[in-house]
Amino acid sequence: MIINGVTIDETFAEAFPMKGTRLIITAMNAKWAMISAQAFTGFATSVIACGCEAAIEKVLDESETPDGRPGVSILIFAMGGKGLAKQVETRAGQCVLTSPTSALFSGLDNPEKEIALGQNLRYFGDGFQISKMIDGKRYWRIPVMDGEFLTQEKTGVQDSVGGGNFLVLAESQAQALAACEAAIEEMRKIPNVIMPFPGGVVRSGSKVGSKFKALNASTNDAFCPTLKGQTKSELSPEVESVMEIVIDGLTKEDIDKAMRVGIQAVCDLGAANGIRRISAGNYGGKLGPFHFHLQEIMA
Amino acid sequence: MSTLIFTLKTSPVQRVDCSPLTPELLTDKSLADIAAIELVTGNSTARVDSLFDMSGDDTADIKFANSTDKLDFVGRNMTSGKISIAGNVGAYLGLFLEGGQIEVTGNTGIYTACEMKSGQIKVNGNVGDFLGGARPGYKNGMTGGTVIVTGNTGARTGDHMRRGTILIEGNAGDYCAARMISGTIAVLGDVGTHLGYGMKRGTVLLTQAPTKGIPANFNDNGPHTLAFLALLFKSFTKLDSQFAKTAAFSRVQRYTGDLGGIGMGEILIKI
Repeated sequence: MIINGVTIDETFAEAFPMKGTRLIITAMNAKWAMISAQAFTGFATSVIACGCEAAIEKVLDESETPDGRPGVSILIFAMGGKGLAKQVETRAGQCVLTSPTSALFSGLDNPEKEIALGQNLRYFGDGFQISKMIDGKRYWRIPVMDGEFLTQEKTGVQDSVGGGNFLVLAESQAQALAACEAAIEEMRKIPNVIMPFPGGVVRSGSKVGSKFKALNASTNDAFCPTLKGQTKSELSPEVESVMEIVIDGLTKEDIDKAMRVGIQAVCDLGAANGIRRISAGNYGGKLGPFHFHLQEIMA
Repeated sequence: MSTLIFTLKTSPVQRVDCSPLTPELLTDKSLADIAAIELVTGNSTARVDSLFDMSGDDTADIKFANSTDKLDFVGRNMTSGKISIAGNVGAYLGLFLEGGQIEVTGNTGIYTACEMKSGQIKVNGNVGDFLGGARPGYKNGMTGGTVIVTGNTGARTGDHMRRGTILIEGNAGDYCAARMISGTIAVLGDVGTHLGYGMKRGTVLLTQAPTKGIPANFNDNGPHTLAFLALLFKSFTKLDSQFAKTAAFSRVQRYTGDLGGIGMGEILIKI
């Protein structure tokens, strides 16, 4: 398949099941909601070492938040419910509770499966915390030095998908980055997905395993342009830079949509802008049950 | 299906226990079966059809017409459906209510919404003492649901109240929120003396300072902007109440007490 001079490889991205939730952070103004959200989602690019994958989903205006203040919605994913609960609690405690004027709410209702949000943070109130049941949901008011920190007691969890991806193969580093930026801009318009790496883009895609025993992942040498002559390379002579976009989503369909608009944005730049190929990372189908076939997505 | 209507023939001499006449207890019963139900009145019993004229067949939608304050325990243990009451009603309206809706066009007696667990009661009139309270000797009053009163309430509103919301569009009597454990009482009018006497936790939300003042056993915590009030007012917008039309505010003067006890209750007054 070739779109606008860009070859779409006959391959698939391999993704795996995760547990995910959506949180909403609000603050006195959009600036402080964003600061709090950025702190919460810091160091959350990959479960390999961060324990979770998290990023900002979208900016919310006053009409879209529970308390009528500016806000930001966040998606956070982990390999299991317990891991997710731990990450949510520690990040909420250190990054949102501490952030001036912030409040924290669940953005995902799932009464059948919930994890603690403010349920344990309340103890920071040292006995002065106050519980409020409003519309069947419990909130905690925790006295803090700038007033009160308001947080919902629990947030819903749902089965999600992590590790959707595609690779952009370009003639230069600048062209690969420009294409990825264009893709990310379009993909951020799709709800229920995040691209957790810095700016949404990964320049150090990995393969499973390493020659060093301590590591369970290492550089994807087949796609490293400087190793074309040293390893079994996947790259043609014209390709000088490869970048990856990783997508986590609440459902497989959400990732499908995000991949489609992202790849389309890259293809719109086309061969005229140095884009040669779109490929994807997989592990022969052994890593995860979710397979995103590039040509099917773009058909 | 049409509303099942119990029209009171004449005001009874003795009080009548109407607790058998709830949607779940009448489900699958024919009109003849319902007519034969014996209601306790005074020290004897009386058939339903000796007290009421009956019409309609929808047991999930019950109406008491021509009601008087002699009808007690209406909606006791009700879990679903609707009961509407045209006129006044007696004591213990909605005792142990677990779901569904009760609406009254007149006044209600003492212990309305006593130990109510869920659901909604709306009284388009005045309510007697111990609204949302616990039965004498019991320690937990209302534990959930919403009560809306368009008129005034008697003394000890929310006595021992543990959870839930009481919205009073008129005035609340003396000892409002006395011995309150938790929950929310909001009053658009005035409140009587001894507000929050023995109050442990919970919130009393007032749109104006009480004319009789804040009790001495409450301390002033100063003016604050409280984020949860935005959520609270948002939840009110779904209700058929003046509270739905009240402009939301989050700036309040906060008092905490009763300092004779644990002092975790709060009185919030709009500023």
